[in-house]
Amino acid sequence: MKILVPLKRVADPENANKVKIAAPAGGLAPKIETTGLEWKPNPFDEYALEAALRLTENGTAVKARLGEVIVVTFGPAECDQTLRGALATGADRAIRVDVTDDQLDGDLVARALAKLVDQVKPDLVLMGKQTVDSDSNQVAQLLAAYLGWPQVTFAANIVNEDNKALKIGRVADGGQINVRVQLPAVVNVEDRVVNPKGVTSPPTPATHKYADGVRFAPLPAIMQAKKKPLEVKKLADLGVEAAPKVKYLGYEAPPARKAGVKVKTVAELVDKLKNEAKVL
Amino acid sequence: MSNAQTAQNRYKADLREIRFLLFEQFGLGELLGKEPYASWGEDEVNMVLDESYKFSCDVLGPLNSVGDRVGCHIENGQAVTPPGFKEAWTKLYEAGWKSVGVKTEHGGQGAPMALSVAVEEFLSGANVAFAMYPGLTVGASEVIDHFGTPAQKELYLPRMFDGRWAGTMCLTEPAAGSDVGAARSTAKKLPNGKYSIKGTKLFISGGDNDFTENIIHLVLARVDGAPQGTKGLSLFIVGKMKTDASGAILGPNDVALGGLEHKMGINGSTTALLNFGENDQCEGELVGTVENLGMPQMFKMMNVARIGVGLQSVSVASAAFLNALEYSKERKQGPNIRNWKDANAPRVAIIEHPDVRRMLLDMKARVEGIRCLIVKLARHQDGFVVNQGKDDAAASYHLGQVDLLVPLVKAYGSDQSFRICETAIQVYGGVGYTKDYPAEQYCRDSKIFSIYEGTNHIQSMDLVGRKLGQNGGANLQAFLGDIGKFIAENASHPALGPSIKELQAAHEAVGMTAMRMLGWFQMGQMSMVPVVSTRFLEMMSELAVGWLLLVGASIAIEKTKGLADGEEGAKDRAFYAGKTLAAKYFAMNVLPGVKLKAEVLGREDTSSLDISDTAFATV
Repeated sequence: MKILVPLKRVADPENANKVKIAAPAGGLAPKIETTGLEWKPNPFDEYALEAALRLTENGTAVKARLGEVIVVTFGPAECDQTLRGALATGADRAIRVDVTDDQLDGDLVARALAKLVDQVKPDLVLMGKQTVDSDSNQVAQLLAAYLGWPQVTFAANIVNEDNKALKIGRVADGGQINVRVQLPAVVNVEDRVVNPKGVTSPPTPATHKYADGVRFAPLPAIMQAKKKPLEVKKLADLGVEAAPKVKYLGYEAPPARKAGVKVKTVAELVDKLKNEAKVL
Repeated sequence: MSNAQTAQNRYKADLREIRFLLFEQFGLGELLGKEPYASWGEDEVNMVLDESYKFSCDVLGPLNSVGDRVGCHIENGQAVTPPGFKEAWTKLYEAGWKSVGVKTEHGGQGAPMALSVAVEEFLSGANVAFAMYPGLTVGASEVIDHFGTPAQKELYLPRMFDGRWAGTMCLTEPAAGSDVGAARSTAKKLPNGKYSIKGTKLFISGGDNDFTENIIHLVLARVDGAPQGTKGLSLFIVGKMKTDASGAILGPNDVALGGLEHKMGINGSTTALLNFGENDQCEGELVGTVENLGMPQMFKMMNVARIGVGLQSVSVASAAFLNALEYSKERKQGPNIRNWKDANAPRVAIIEHPDVRRMLLDMKARVEGIRCLIVKLARHQDGFVVNQGKDDAAASYHLGQVDLLVPLVKAYGSDQSFRICETAIQVYGGVGYTKDYPAEQYCRDSKIFSIYEGTNHIQSMDLVGRKLGQNGGANLQAFLGDIGKFIAENASHPALGPSIKELQAAHEAVGMTAMRMLGWFQMGQMSMVPVVSTRFLEMMSELAVGWLLLVGASIAIEKTKGLADGEEGAKDRAFYAGKTLAAKYFAMNVLPGVKLKAEVLGREDTSSLDISDTAFATV
């Protein structure tokens, strides 16, 4: 199976309070200040990569690759580091579409990915359900529409049926919906897919239990990562015009939390819950 | 588990500091991309640092307090290690973090030692008790690699480097601790060329485990008829299990686990009493082919192990410092001293209190100082490897500095480690004494570092008795020469001038004291030497630390000039200011003590020799 996994670097959510908004100057649109930020791969994309690796290997002998996982990212040259990390974790090759962040929106990424799919011809596009910076949750759905492929969102577990179809448990309110999707398809995943039994795929024996979470990049693979192919493309190579549809008009910090109130009696509490909070 | 602290990672490291030492201060970049490190580039180094740190925090860190609270015990004659250790061992070898510095011919990545010590710091810092098992395994493998026969290398090395088999070093016996030569274990040559091993070994770290199918003990024993003392000792490879030449396990090798020690710290590490040959069925192989070479062979492993103890020391001390620092920013207590008269003044985080700041900066300077010693040692080892066979003078210089630094790294590092951990508890206050916070475990774990692998007094005698005069004194001359050069070049440094003056005074004091001790040797005043050797080791270490911190500060000051204004350069600016002030603190508060110690030492006070045994106390 050949799987395309789109990856995005995001500002480290643990340092999210360091994100600053640059004051708009000279008629330019307001912009998030990115200098001094620490970057890491979007966690949901890491889950997608882990699931893709599990679908293309025997879990008891992971060194022998049985399929191909291609990672792709959109961004400037520094993003090569994110791709190298994915290559060290086990991806087979990488593509970077050379753009700057302010040239992008979800729709443009989806259109460019659709063109890339035409070139790469994967059996499956596996991606995170959203990125933890802007939380748009759009690209998978848009991509499926542009490609005319079936899509499954919020996959919590994936069973590979002979590389032709996937049986997917997707998260829904109060439970799980089980669906079967014919390949090729676009699937986005949520965090439960990296549970020890999140992905079932021959030839991994059914008894095999993966470690919980995403795998570590082992030392020998880190040393090999530079030798794996990393191709750089331009939007023009994909025949896509750099014209984002979303315009950023402004940024606002969420309102500060108001101080709490101390109540004296239970009766007062009940009254407030009933009449002020209106939850009773 | 018996209390609130469950399987949670408390380990943290300052990767910016590690990168500063590797790339900005000790020039790791000069080695990369060239033989024998051609496969290493800056990207690989950075990814290895990030990933091994992540591994240490995710896999080893959560088991640190588990190992401490649960400890090890014996079931059916077999050690049972704490829950999770077996899985961690498997993951460690899958991830390859024990092969960073291992030669490529053994499946390793042949990294510069400067990098592998950084990785080791993470592994040990996250869980020092766990890290002992793989640490000793590498140490034992290296002895076999260095001295073993081709057949021994072929049988043991692949299995020990990939984690199927573990390794230990067995020197100590009930009546032979620091006095190794008193060992009574015996070896009798058998018709098949092997030896029948008989004896009891004590305090064997990693002496048993429940995660490898075999353990390779390197055992010091005396062949029948060999001379007494250290000269008659030979080193033997003794498996826990008997194997055939293909490595297949045939059955037990009459190595009985006689007991496990109940210790103050490193409770996750088995400390075993092993009985070899109780039933005359224990077979061992001589390391190499020549008998009575046990001590020089074991010294190869001891050297590796002593550097390893220095690493453990900085690892645990650094974790204690960074945890105390975090707590000091969260814990609110009392008003700022400026508002001491105002009962309604806002409560402040304790990091605002001057004495807490003093303790934090003291810990920072010492942690970073002993780390400098280790990275410097490692960088000299790399310098030796690069120049070996090409530039004899350079190779000899680098090797000489490694030899000279080993006792400093081991003894000064470990003495400081315990004291830094103690200071960390003090920063926490009362809760630091409880098991809800990690500082007390760090303190208990670190105490052993000044004792094992040769007590710190043995290190000081090694320094004074062997290392100062080694190469006709050339190693010491080169060491002092390097410092003298830095002093001369920076005497009028606009920011560091007063600190350099302190360094100069310490430099003179150490040189003078070395000469004084040489005089004692020449005049037969031998009994003075052990009285002062520990103090001298401390003086020389403080001189080295003061120097290396000031070198770092001078680099930091230069680099600050090139930083961007405002937000963009803020992080680096704060980092470099920290380097500079830690160096200044050490120079102004610790280095003056070197001169004082030299003066004290020069008085040749013999009270501790003059006092009779009965005069110590009346009980």
